[in-house]
Amino acid sequence: MNDRKVSVVEKNGYQKQVMAIYRFISDHLYFNRPDIEIKGESYNSTILLSLLTGLTKGKELIIGEPGLGKTTSAEFICSLVYQFPLGVIWGSEVSGHPEQTEEKIIGRPDLGKLNRGEEDVVWTNFSQMPVKIVDEINRLPETKQSMILDGVDRGNWEYLNEMIINDEYCLFATANYQDGGTNTLIAPLVDRFDVIVESRYPGANLSFLIGKSRGKEHILRHPKYEKDLYRVLKSKIAYEKKIPKLEEICNAFGEYVHETLEVKPLRRGDRDRIRTEMGSLDLDLDASAFARMLLAELSFCERYGQKRIVENCEEGCHYTGYLCRQIKNCASNRLPTSIKLFSQGLAWLLGDSEIDIEHVKAVMPFTLSHRVQWKDEVLSQKERAKRDDPFQIFLAKEAVKTVSQRYREQSDHLKDALALGSKIFQGESLEPLEGDHPIYTEIKKDIRHRRNH
Amino acid sequence: MEEKRLQAIIEEIWPRLKRKHLYPEIPIPKIGKVHDPLDEGNEKNDGVGLEMKDKQMTINPAFLSTLNGKMAEENLIEALLDHGITHYTFCPWDFQTHLTLYSEAKKVMGDKESAKQAANYFIDVIADTHCVKKRATEIPELHRNLKKGTVEEVIASLYQRIWGIDLGISPSKKGDDEVVRRLARIPYLDRSRWPESIRKFARSLKPLLILEQNEKEARGGKGESNPQGEHDLDHYSYEEIDQGLRDYAQKTMGLSEFKEVVEDFSAELKEMGYGIEGGMGRGRGAPIDADVLFYMKLAENYSIPLRKIPLEEVGTLHPHSHSPWEVGSPFQDIDIWTSFGKIMPGITQIWKKKEGKGRGKIEGAPDCLIIIDSSGSMINPRKNLSYAVLGAACVTNAYLRNDSKVAVYNFSDAPMGGRDVLDYTANREEVYRVLCKYFGGGTALDLEDIMPMIKRKKEMDLFIITDMKITNLETLIGFFGKIQNRITAVHIGENPYAARFEKAVEKRKNINIFTVKKKEDIPHIVLGSIREYFNPIHRGR
Amino acid sequence: MKNACLKKKTPNPLQQEVHDTLNPFEEFKTFQFRKTEIPLDQIVQSTEVIMDQIRLGYERLLEEEAKELVWMVQYNTIIKAYEVAEKYIKEIDYSAEDIEDFCFALESPQKIPYLIPGPAGIYISALCNYAKEEEIVLKLSELKTEINLIGFRLPKGKRLMVEGDTGDFTGIGLEGGELVVEGNTKNWTGAGMRGGKILVKKNIGLHTGEWMMGGEIYVGGRVRGLGNIVEGKVYERDKLVYPGKARYPNLYY
Repeated sequence: MNDRKVSVVEKNGYQKQVMAIYRFISDHLYFNRPDIEIKGESYNSTILLSLLTGLTKGKELIIGEPGLGKTTSAEFICSLVYQFPLGVIWGSEVSGHPEQTEEKIIGRPDLGKLNRGEEDVVWTNFSQMPVKIVDEINRLPETKQSMILDGVDRGNWEYLNEMIINDEYCLFATANYQDGGTNTLIAPLVDRFDVIVESRYPGANLSFLIGKSRGKEHILRHPKYEKDLYRVLKSKIAYEKKIPKLEEICNAFGEYVHETLEVKPLRRGDRDRIRTEMGSLDLDLDASAFARMLLAELSFCERYGQKRIVENCEEGCHYTGYLCRQIKNCASNRLPTSIKLFSQGLAWLLGDSEIDIEHVKAVMPFTLSHRVQWKDEVLSQKERAKRDDPFQIFLAKEAVKTVSQRYREQSDHLKDALALGSKIFQGESLEPLEGDHPIYTEIKKDIRHRRNH
Repeated sequence: MEEKRLQAIIEEIWPRLKRKHLYPEIPIPKIGKVHDPLDEGNEKNDGVGLEMKDKQMTINPAFLSTLNGKMAEENLIEALLDHGITHYTFCPWDFQTHLTLYSEAKKVMGDKESAKQAANYFIDVIADTHCVKKRATEIPELHRNLKKGTVEEVIASLYQRIWGIDLGISPSKKGDDEVVRRLARIPYLDRSRWPESIRKFARSLKPLLILEQNEKEARGGKGESNPQGEHDLDHYSYEEIDQGLRDYAQKTMGLSEFKEVVEDFSAELKEMGYGIEGGMGRGRGAPIDADVLFYMKLAENYSIPLRKIPLEEVGTLHPHSHSPWEVGSPFQDIDIWTSFGKIMPGITQIWKKKEGKGRGKIEGAPDCLIIIDSSGSMINPRKNLSYAVLGAACVTNAYLRNDSKVAVYNFSDAPMGGRDVLDYTANREEVYRVLCKYFGGGTALDLEDIMPMIKRKKEMDLFIITDMKITNLETLIGFFGKIQNRITAVHIGENPYAARFEKAVEKRKNINIFTVKKKEDIPHIVLGSIREYFNPIHRGR
Repeated sequence: MKNACLKKKTPNPLQQEVHDTLNPFEEFKTFQFRKTEIPLDQIVQSTEVIMDQIRLGYERLLEEEAKELVWMVQYNTIIKAYEVAEKYIKEIDYSAEDIEDFCFALESPQKIPYLIPGPAGIYISALCNYAKEEEIVLKLSELKTEINLIGFRLPKGKRLMVEGDTGDFTGIGLEGGELVVEGNTKNWTGAGMRGGKILVKKNIGLHTGEWMMGGEIYVGGRVRGLGNIVEGKVYERDKLVYPGKARYPNLYY
């Protein structure tokens, strides 16, 4: 596997176009320091992952101190990836506060028609737009958080027995650090997010620069197109018919941006083609085996069959050195989905033909940190550790590092065990390989299941 | 110019190297001067090829030039980097493993310097062997060309035998051949057997290492530099050392072993700024108290839940503010005046009610007074692992983590002066120092000492850890009967005194008793929990 | 019934598909693991095999000896145990290093659950006596247990060097070989030896040379007490203490 050449996919220029958007944002709109290195290049994780969220139709939670550009970073991405002027994006945002209502989020009855005894729904811009930004989601009551995430999960928005279906959408939600305020994000809801990133302080010098260049967002505004878009969004025509009209105006705005700012936003067709290309990328064997190893550690319990938040580890368990011992909950099925989605996006963006361990390792901490509940002793051990990241992301990065250490040592043996598993599944009469890691037990469980049925 | 050219070579081969080693989390290596403590007088500074400091590998251009013409530059750099990366990815891997290997080597070698040497050789053999077996590497070629001393010659001969690659080493002396034969039987790549393996390794190499040590002393303490780099604490970051010490304390559970290792590395630890603070901190240069450090690191492995004092809110619900009504929301709270008599989403408004505030208190943890018994019947914490001190250390952590302060009353025969009192403080080190104090005399409390510490605080918790063999136990029971503070009493082991105490206070809801017989019992202590939390029946009484 | 049979014969196509598509390891189907071997693997593996054989022999010896409820160091018991040990050892192709490894394995309960000093010492002596090498060096300095009966019946032409201390009955029944102990030995050293040489670098215990029939015992440190010696010589710090008039059996000095 090691000598496998990583060939670069046939480039049709989209990677270049997307990287130009990345650079434009980092050079002109969202000043921050690079904080992750992938394949020898440094990136700012907030812009990179937000860009991937927009491209992959993902869901991202952006955390950070107030005033550090959580919402604006998402707005810039949405504007350039989906060709919407900022004014329209602002008008479609849902702001989180305890009194927020379903009517302001999804839609309301058409009051005129209601007075006439007819039922019709006036959909909000939020439900109609492909880019959805929820500001301070943690301040929304749980029921409203759940409503938004349900809608985004399925792409359906329902009100008074009527429904619209979003074909294309992505979600950016921002939240302050969980400070024990009125509402917090509860674990089952947090799990719905693909990734979590921190919009961090850019440092005194860049911050000073931001102060000097106030009003930079105006370059992404266009009053005429904004009015046009509002008109279409407000119009009473069927939602399906609005989409092409919206796209038409968006394309015109895109042209305008291209001409004036020399950065070319993505059209709907571009985005679709990019997604098709991303979807065709597969994990190479190392990346796949590594991801399985991590998932096994995050879900395994020898005693009780799997991790459960209500059960405690047994004293004297053999598997004390693994992550399963350090965490309380079990990894959800959404985790591998997010890992694959974002590694596909990253591998595509970097022009690689396969997803390798480096792609997977780069995105994993961001897909993991909000989903893992660490035991108190782990938190107390590491709370004073020197770090640059928020505690949760730091812990996730450390966890990924540790598992990748283990993987490096066992890669051949594990791949061999998985290959043997495949042969047994194909009917060959072989015995599964033994190994000192939860993943080998998981392989054996699958094989046993296959043999019993 | 030369450095730039070499840096360009590194940049070219680095992506391939990273892929080869499955993407280790190491920054791109640099070309530059390296520090060689064994070669300080030498202007050429060409003894060491590779330096690794906190994951940053640096290659010495002067060393590369010594092998000019013998080996292609690119191959030489790759071999050095393969070696360096393998230290990170396989052996020693982390600081705890490094410490374990060192302490095992010391059991055989007896002294610090030769134990370090043995551990270094062992780590190198493992790293290079792992690399030769698992990856395509130029390491054998590097060894063929390196200048060798007596021990290096034997090790190269070992490589020939266990790698099956000719490194140009001629058949050696009879004695050396026996050493090689012994060394070749060690399962270097089996991590689980490294502790026994290094003992065998050191045992076999001991005569040669002693010889080398003597030669070094004869040269005025100057030895040969290790071309593949020395293995000192520079490899590790401060956090890795911290984690390593914590893991090592947990693994050995032995005070003396921990103490020995910390004392052996004390100079290096201090140089790295590892002193003692209100947690271990940077750069104070105070001497390292290995006993205190042991309990500190060990205690970090346990977490005791601390129940905070609950929020009390007294008052009834009253209308506070308006909020919009939604379809499906209940009708009873609709304010018809502000809704213009309409039931329509967006127009209709409801009253939002709030609870009136009474004498509410913010939820939090109070300060805590730890009473610890250090009489003769208790274990001396500076000699052996004391569960009493470990338990009290965990309690300290629990309170300090919740921004509370901790006071300590360490007693033996208090009326006779056998006591130490520490006032409320947030300084972890101070608390640990007093906890680790051992008087070893009789056991009697002096309530006169404790009363002021309790009376001064409006809210405070009491934590007592003892074997209950207290002469004036009745006085203590009587005293506990009078106060309302939350009391957590932990007794070490079972005895009739403990049973008497338990019986006497069983009706008191504010006293919880736990028994610690083994270290696993420590996390079961719930601080400040009072019985009614667990048993709601009490509430009705 | 007929229907049931029919059902069995025609597999449910959906079920078939599920089985075919639900191979969770599908992507590894073509993975071929090319295991690279280096000579170390072979050496370690064969060492393990030999150690297993040695261990097995010891366990069998224990099984035999376990029939005696209490293992007493008596002439007959020792001879019988040695004969059993000989029987198993003769079948094993081992080296001096394997003996040393076995000594350390005795202290690891994971490897050898029972360390019974008597039979263990007999077994180690038999291993030494039947080893290919003429000179055997056992580096046992860090061994926590002092092995008893080591050097039992060491034959002529063999030299056994032990680094570290040994226990009781060291070098008993020596048959012409040379036993060097770099540390201390305990009581009954050289008892019943017929010939050969025992060299103890440090101190020696009581009953030294009891019923000794020939050979020499050299002690670098102190002799705590001599036994009833029939014939042979005992030197303490280069000074002949037996034959001589100064010493009496088991006299403390």
